Amino acid sequence: MPIRLLSLTSEDLQYALNCMEIDELIAFSLCSKRTKNLVKDSNIQIEPIYAKVYENYIRLEIMPSNLRGVQDDPDPLFIYLDFSNPYITLERKNGMEVWRKEGFTQSDWIAHFLNISNEPIIRELMINGCCPIPYLDTVKRIIPKFQELHITEDCSTELTEIAFRKLIPNAEKLQVDKDPFDNDIHISQFLKPNLTSVCLSSWGHPCKLELDDLLLANSSFISISLANITEKDLNRFVKIWTKSNHRFYRPEHIEMSARNEINRAELLRGIKYQTVDNSHLLKRADGKELEIFVLTNFVAFKFK
Amino acid sequence: MSSTEQGTSSAAPAEPTTAPESAAAPEVPESFYYVHGKDKVVHKVSAGALQHSALIHGMISNLGYTEEQAKANPFPFENIDGDILQMVVDWCNQHKGKPTPPEDTNLPKQKEKLFDLVLAVNYLEIKELLTYCCKQVAMMVKGKSPEEIREIWMIPTDAEDEAAEKEAKKRAGKEAAGETAAAAGDAK
Repeated sequence: MPIRLLSLTSEDLQYALNCMEIDELIAFSLCSKRTKNLVKDSNIQIEPIYAKVYENYIRLEIMPSNLRGVQDDPDPLFIYLDFSNPYITLERKNGMEVWRKEGFTQSDWIAHFLNISNEPIIRELMINGCCPIPYLDTVKRIIPKFQELHITEDCSTELTEIAFRKLIPNAEKLQVDKDPFDNDIHISQFLKPNLTSVCLSSWGHPCKLELDDLLLANSSFISISLANITEKDLNRFVKIWTKSNHRFYRPEHIEMSARNEINRAELLRGIKYQTVDNSHLLKRADGKELEIFVLTNFVAFKFK
Repeated sequence: MSSTEQGTSSAAPAEPTTAPESAAAPEVPESFYYVHGKDKVVHKVSAGALQHSALIHGMISNLGYTEEQAKANPFPFENIDGDILQMVVDWCNQHKGKPTPPEDTNLPKQKEKLFDLVLAVNYLEIKELLTYCCKQVAMMVKGKSPEEIREIWMIPTDAEDEAAEKEAKKRAGKEAAGETAAAAGDAK
């Protein structure tokens, strides 16, 4: 026997929505514009949405927040968007289900999920090694904006470069796991874009890094592991920064892990600094400060 | 201290109670109130059971009825069907003076009654029961697809919503025009 749910008071409706699992809320939101707005206004607590690109589909990961406290909420809910069909496939408790919505394209699905979860953008777009290069334009069309581009270790050099070039204008952050970074895919190109964060990981083969790479870096937060850079280059980098009065340098934090021990004395040779706690503080004439923190295999520069 | 409690307990009506309870709390004669729904069937409910309803509890507190007055003036809930009120009364009695459990298996299973129950419980402001009912409502669509949900919950399509909105606007316009005409007629 059906009941006319939308005749309930807003308070009762809210109670009912609070008891629903995330996949049911999504199903409800797809019934009409009104139900979509009801779900949106109910402020469902979910974690940011993650997207992973596979061979011919994108997998969305929608994780309900622990704060929701709905006992049977899936952990997380996986939704698959096919590149060539406008339907979605959901992994629900009873198995896989295919849902269609008239007039909905893949990007409409994404927009719908973001809309009901009150999230402005996809948190992370992960490109896997199996993603075909020709589909990158489709990915860009389906997900026009996302916070972080994550290129995984199994991506070929060509896929890494093209994915980076095509997708980085849509991102605020970058993570590249590439082993090795070498002449074919040099680390410097990843340091130049104006991003809030860049994390480069190459744990098997330390990536060669030079003075110019650091000087031309343009992201706020940079993390490189493992980096292969000489103490002499690091020393010159600090000296150049110290002398560059009133010159804008965008990075606020650079950290590097190295395979070999970092020679602190060599790094700080000929530089005037104060030691505060475990870090070394430098001040240049225009008042800007640099804090250098050195551990056995780790060095961090914090620009203030 | 304990002798006073025992003294009070012995003064209470000779209703048999279990030993630990009578030792723990003195028995006070329970007051009863009366409610009826649309069917005018009067239900006798204890004040303890009625405490679940913020609405009735507020009414009792404000009225200060004696038992006789309460009997003579049952609270009328003309907007609630008799069988729904019976369900509510039963639930209140079952949960009288008890902490409400996280899950309630005693709720009515008839879906057709659930909607009316939610409305009644909301009106009577029985928060715990409302939570259970809404959970039950949510359970109706467990694992269902959008189309199934639309059917179960009778959700209009966008086109139906738009048509209803247009109709409502049209009606409001007609009513406004009617009022203006009536006002003009009065002025003449």
